Amino acid sequence: MNALVTLENVGVAFNAQLRAAAARFWALEDVSLTLERGARLGIVGRNGAGKSTLLRTLAGIIEPDRGRIMRAPVSCQLLSLAVGFIPHLSGRDNAILSGLLLGLRRRAIESRLPAILEFSELGDFFEQPISTYSTGMTARLGFSVAMQVEPEVLLIDEVLSVGDTEFQAKSGAALRERIQSGTTVVFVSHSDAAVRQVCNRALWIEHGRSVMQGGVEEVLSAYHAAAPAAAA
Amino acid sequence: MRLHLLELILFSTYAELRAERARSYLGLAWWIIEPAMNMAVYYLVFAIVLRTSQPDYIPFLLVGLTLWQWFKSCVSHGSYAIWQGLPLIRQVKVPVQVFPSVQILADTVKFLFILALLLVILWGYGYPPNSAYLALPVVLLVELVFAAGAAYVVAAVMPFVPDLRFVIEQVLTVMMFLSGIVFSLDAVPEAARAWFVLNPIAVLVDAGRGILMHGRWPDWLALGRITLISLALYAFGALLIRRWTTRYVKLPT
Repeated sequence: MNALVTLENVGVAFNAQLRAAAARFWALEDVSLTLERGARLGIVGRNGAGKSTLLRTLAGIIEPDRGRIMRAPVSCQLLSLAVGFIPHLSGRDNAILSGLLLGLRRRAIESRLPAILEFSELGDFFEQPISTYSTGMTARLGFSVAMQVEPEVLLIDEVLSVGDTEFQAKSGAALRERIQSGTTVVFVSHSDAAVRQVCNRALWIEHGRSVMQGGVEEVLSAYHAAAPAAAA
Repeated sequence: MRLHLLELILFSTYAELRAERARSYLGLAWWIIEPAMNMAVYYLVFAIVLRTSQPDYIPFLLVGLTLWQWFKSCVSHGSYAIWQGLPLIRQVKVPVQVFPSVQILADTVKFLFILALLLVILWGYGYPPNSAYLALPVVLLVELVFAAGAAYVVAAVMPFVPDLRFVIEQVLTVMMFLSGIVFSLDAVPEAARAWFVLNPIAVLVDAGRGILMHGRWPDWLALGRITLISLALYAFGALLIRRWTTRYVKLPT
């Protein structure tokens, strides 16, 4: 057993409103999970089950309001695209800014700028303000920067590829390569096919509670068996 | 970790200034034009319309407004910073104190340009550099600490009570009039004056005028007193932000 992250009966509450006496809303009620080194854990559950909140809790963006979270000293990061981008700045400046926000040192980003430029295929546009970019170009830059962060635990919320058709193939391949290289991964998805493709473990959560953790097929079939009952 | 934070703050400040320049037609020129217009307004009202008979009124006003506008912009921009940073706070793990610090630093860079211009104007007006200038960095540093402290405190509370933004400008205006920026506090009754020595801005502006206009060294006792007040406010603000750091992300969108 080599658990990198363990959650024990974790709950997370959000403020429903900006009022002194406003009720709190529990996005996560009671989630327990164990994430072992090298595991690729898929999280399945219906809309509003708390999947994204769980991912942000694992990333350390959100602190639990109850329960315990134990982490080995490893970096856990969400794959975040275009973080902190400012429209009036050049692609280069935005790459540096975004990299710093994602926790990279200035020197580390500077040394990766050529790789970012190459992967994003922006060419001369790299020096232009990103307000002149098309949506696809911004997505390419965002993805290229995000891939420079190499956390020990990679957290992915739905997105496996970005951009136009051509870049989707390229970004998808790059991300799959990262996933297969032995990185520990937590992957949230609505798509069974994607979970089957990426993951070797799965966790099913329902109304903010962890229901079942186990093999992918086992969890998926239990999840679908329960679906009619939950819908009724 | 600390170095990374410093790099993040410095680069964000550069990005902020750069983006601000790109957002307007005249760009950098606004750093000078905006405060100059502000000074012209007060000059018009107090010197021309109200015929303030105070000697040296123009340098008096320029020094006061330069120091005041720096403080004011740090507090008003800084106080919005965490609130406006909420989308980013929900996305990445980033130390919240970065947001107001970036605004304060950006306003300080702009202030330094205006200060340089002010010095040139004063020299042209017949107030040459003097040995008391050596005390100027101390005065400015205390003002920076006070401004940062005030900005941190308001910035910490703002995300929970965004309504504060309707109040903050009014409070700042009142504070300006109570700090002797546009008119002298000599007219204030003796009894009330005891309170004014606890107002850091009044003391700082008075010290700044003494140095720049009269070659007079600051009143170190008064300066020491408000340094303590400023440090206490700074520590309180930083503590509030640290204490509430995990709560910002849970606020409603």
